[in-house]
Formats: sequence, structure tokens, C-alpha cells
Amino acid sequence: MFRSLSVKKSPRKSFRLKPPFTRHAISILICAACMLCATLASFLYQHIVPDNHANVALFYILALVIIARWTVGYSYGIACTLFSVIAINYLFTYPYYKINFTLTGYPITFLLMSGITLILCTMTSHMTIQSEMIAEREKRLAEAEMEKMRANLLRAISHDLRTPLTGIIGNSSLFLESQNDLSSTEQRTIMTNIYEDSNWLLNMVENLLSVTRIQGDSLSINTTEEPVEEVVGEALEKLEKRYPDAAIRVKIPEEFLMIPMDAVLIEQVTINLLENAIVHSGSILPIDFIVEDHPEHVSFIVRDYGKGLSEEKLQNLFETSTYNNSQSSDSRKGMGIGLSICKTIITAHHGTLSGRNHADGAEFCFTLPKVGAVASEK
Amino acid sequence: MNKIKVLLIEDDRSISNFITATMDREGYKIMHALNGREGLSLSTSFCPNVILLDLGLPDMDGLDVLQKLRSWSDVPVIIISARTKEQEKVSALDLGADDYITKPFGTGELMARIRTSLRHSHAQTPGHVYKTLDLEIDFEKRLIRLRGEEVHLTQIEYQLLTLLAENSGRVLTYSYIMNAIWGPYMDNNNQILRVNMANIRRKLEQNPAQPQYVFTEIGVGYRMRENENGAIPAERF
Repeated sequence: MFRSLSVKKSPRKSFRLKPPFTRHAISILICAACMLCATLASFLYQHIVPDNHANVALFYILALVIIARWTVGYSYGIACTLFSVIAINYLFTYPYYKINFTLTGYPITFLLMSGITLILCTMTSHMTIQSEMIAEREKRLAEAEMEKMRANLLRAISHDLRTPLTGIIGNSSLFLESQNDLSSTEQRTIMTNIYEDSNWLLNMVENLLSVTRIQGDSLSINTTEEPVEEVVGEALEKLEKRYPDAAIRVKIPEEFLMIPMDAVLIEQVTINLLENAIVHSGSILPIDFIVEDHPEHVSFIVRDYGKGLSEEKLQNLFETSTYNNSQSSDSRKGMGIGLSICKTIITAHHGTLSGRNHADGAEFCFTLPKVGAVASEK
Repeated sequence: MNKIKVLLIEDDRSISNFITATMDREGYKIMHALNGREGLSLSTSFCPNVILLDLGLPDMDGLDVLQKLRSWSDVPVIIISARTKEQEKVSALDLGADDYITKPFGTGELMARIRTSLRHSHAQTPGHVYKTLDLEIDFEKRLIRLRGEEVHLTQIEYQLLTLLAENSGRVLTYSYIMNAIWGPYMDNNNQILRVNMANIRRKLEQNPAQPQYVFTEIGVGYRMRENENGAIPAERF
């Protein structure tokens, strides 16, 4: 009941749990193999040390323990117990090759073995169910965590969206109501403000859209092998359209690098980090963007030469919750959301994202694994 | 002189307003349809030189409009779309769209796309020279020069580059390129294409991560920089 419910709830799980038919087939195989081994071992033992029935029974009990642990349900264990009891009686007790239930103490052997097997089966079934329950609970916790993050993000964003929207509405209504009283310079300022605010909104929407590519509960993404230089190239091209004056020095390895990723998301991360460096560094010195090839991973470093990150900012770089405090309306608007989205994206790729200060500015670095974790996700 | 005729199929008033105003100022004759049916009937009666088609229309899917249109007309179609999924761009291009432009876009970008697709509909005879920045491709002599010096490409690389150059300014999808260079029986793994493009980039670009000639559209395909030789002003037509 429990099992079928959990399979229905999440189709992903069905990949891990084999279909019932296969599981039963495997159980039967295990039973047959164990019983055969126990019987052979007993024969061998009997051949070497005759007339020691107690150990023969132990061989079978060992086999039964293994069966109880690795088969599904009780039925296999009980069937094998019956088989064992009869086999011991038939093969290894006098008179050999005859069923004789009147043997001294035999009913006791029979009862004890059945009892042991039953208890074992119950215990192992419990163990399986419990471990499934734990897995399920962990999954639910992760979902709740994700849900909380979403809620935080939504709250922070709706908060942040209001500011530019107020600017757009205010400026455009001012223009509509008193166009004739405004000088052409004033008109131009109003229009420029509207233009800038809408671009900021657009940027935010792009970020939100990218988050929707990460599939809900399990944080899973679709990765394909992508050439690093193409992803970086497109990100830079888009950034150049938005900030034609920004200077970025790019250094990437000469070798051709293909790594598994969701290219659109990694592009978004690259754009966000570079944009942060352009807008928030408070400097017009060229920004360094460096891609390094390591044996296990590829790292992407964005280094600016500006005022660096404040102590307070460093404390909770990637958290949207910092938006609840008074900092939310300062000039760094949008930075927290952009970074927390980057964090989500990189985490979904099983990579790392970190930010720190270097001697003359701030530095952000994200890494993507070359193979392994991401690939095995599929 | 005859003006170039543009048909805009778009249901959003605000967007169609600014496109119509821009096109008017640029000296195009523009006609506006609010839905797919109207757009299809106007495309026969108005005989546009280029069609701007929004994918999200109230009465039918933009891709269906494109498919119907393509059954009888080769007029250049530029897709205007708010959809951001690469797969949708790819299917629009594979259905015969000449280009796509994603909302939001600036008027400058829109005009450039229109000029590109108009140029391709008046395709010049092959055998001309492609030239942009420091790159020159002489299709007749099969010669590629970068800053005056000859560049040596392999057979496949040359085919790839000329295919992109002949369609410069347009996005060619992975599957289109694979089909054109390696034929229809190649499996759909485009790794071989990616590797060849990387080699071309190393031979042409100063920094492969900041390309000047061949641009990547992630998940869609490649686009080569406009041919400067073919930059004909709009009034020519």
C-alpha cells in the first residue's frame, strides 16, 4: 500500500524501485540460490564430519537470514523454512532419504526455525519500510525548503518590482498630464527614466524565467554537453548589447571544453555576475572573466577592481532574506535576488558558487563538475 | 517609387503601435492584422515583401499560420515571439521562418532583421564575395582571407563557413546545418558540428569566447555576421 502510493506520488522514484515482477523474480532466485548453497554445504559438512546435525540446521538458518533480508514480504521466508525443515529431516537425519516426523526433538527444531524466520522477516520488512519512510520524509523536507525559498524569492521580488513600476507609472502620468509645461530636457529625462526602469524590470523577469527552468521539487535540470566558449560568447554578446561601454577582459583555455550543463541557465549566471561587477563595483576598470580548466571541474571567475563587498554583504551574499531589512531600497537593488538565483542554478548543477574580496575589489567564482554528479542525474 | 510592403500580424495594440510608427518613419508601407485569419487573407491580397508574425495569436497558433503560409508562399517571415524556449524557436525556423526576434526588442534590431530577410529574398547570384570586418570569403576561388592573409580550412570547415556566410545574418539551426553538410542519415548528435565550429573559431577569431564572425544562439544554432558587401539600402527595392 505504502509503496504503491509513493510510486504514484513521484514518478522519479519508480526508476529506483524495480517493478514488482522483477522484484519477485529476484526473490525467487535468491531463495533458490541460498537453499542450494545451504544444502550443498550441509552435504559437504556431513561428508567430512558425520553425525553432527546441529550444525546442519545452522547452515539452513544462515541461509534463511539472508533470504529474510533480501526478499520481499514474508512468503518466501516461510516457504524456505518449510523446505529447510523437510530437507533436514529427509537428507540429514537418520533414517536418511525418508521423511520421519516422529524423530526425538524434531517438532522443536521445526518450531524454532519457523519462529526465527518469522521474526527475521518481520524485522527486515520493517527495516525496508522504515528506510523508505525516511527517504520520503527527507524528500518532503527538501521540498519544504525549496518552497520556502520560492516564497522568500517571490516576496523579495514583488517588493523590488514595485520601485521601478512606481517610477514608470509616475513618470508616464507626469508626461501625459503636463507634457506642454515640460521643457524638452525634462521630457527627455522622464522618458530616459521610464526606459531605464523598464529595462531593469526586464532583467528581473529574465532571471525569474530562468528559475522556472529548474524543475520544482527535486531541483533537477536538463543538461547537455555544451562548449564552454559558446556559452560564454553568447553571454558576453548579450551583455555587450546592454552595456556597450563595459570593458571585460576574457581569458579562456585554448583547448576545446565541453561540459554538461543547462546552457541557458549558465549563461544567466554569467550575465548576472558580470552585470553585478559592472553596476555595483563602482569602478570603470576592466573586469576580468577567467575560465580555468581543472581535472574534475571547470571554474569561472569574475573579478572586478572596485570597492569590494561590505562586511555585512559578505555575511549573507546569496540569501534573499537580506531583502527584508532596510538595505532593500538602496542602490544595490536586485543584487541579492540575482545572486540567490545564481546560487540556485549552480547548486542544481552540483557546482559551487562563492564570493569574496581580493586586494582591490570583489571576486565571484563558480565551478561546474565535468562529469559524474550531473551526468548521473539523468 | 514602390515602397516595401510589410505585413504585421500581432494582436497586442501597444506593440503594433510602435512597430507601425517605426516602419512608417523608415519609409515602409505597413499593413496590420490582429489575428491569424485576417493575416492569412491579407497576405494574399496585400502581397507583402516581408511578414512579421507573432506566435501568440488569439484565434490560431502562430506556427499554424506559418505552416499555412509556407504551403503557397516563400515570402520572408520573421517570427516575433514572447516564448523563450529554444525548442520553439527551432521549430519555427525548421517550419520555414526566416528569422525570429524575441520580445522585447528594440526598433533598431527589428529594422536590421527586416533588411536581412529582404536581402535574402532577393538572393544575389552565387559567386560574389563575402566581406565583413577583416574577413573575406571568395566563393568562386574558394579562398578565405583574414586581414589579407589566407586561412586554411578543412573541406568540412570550408563548407560550414560558406553555408553560414551565404545565409549571413540569419540563424541556421543545428539540424539544418547537419542536414546540409553531413546529409540526412547522420544521427542527431551535433557534437561533430560543435567541434568543427570550435576549430573554425580558433582559425578566425582572436578570442574564441568573444567571437566577431560566427555567433552562437544557444540551443538553436549559429548566426554569421552580416555581409557588408550585401548591405543594400531599403530604397533599392
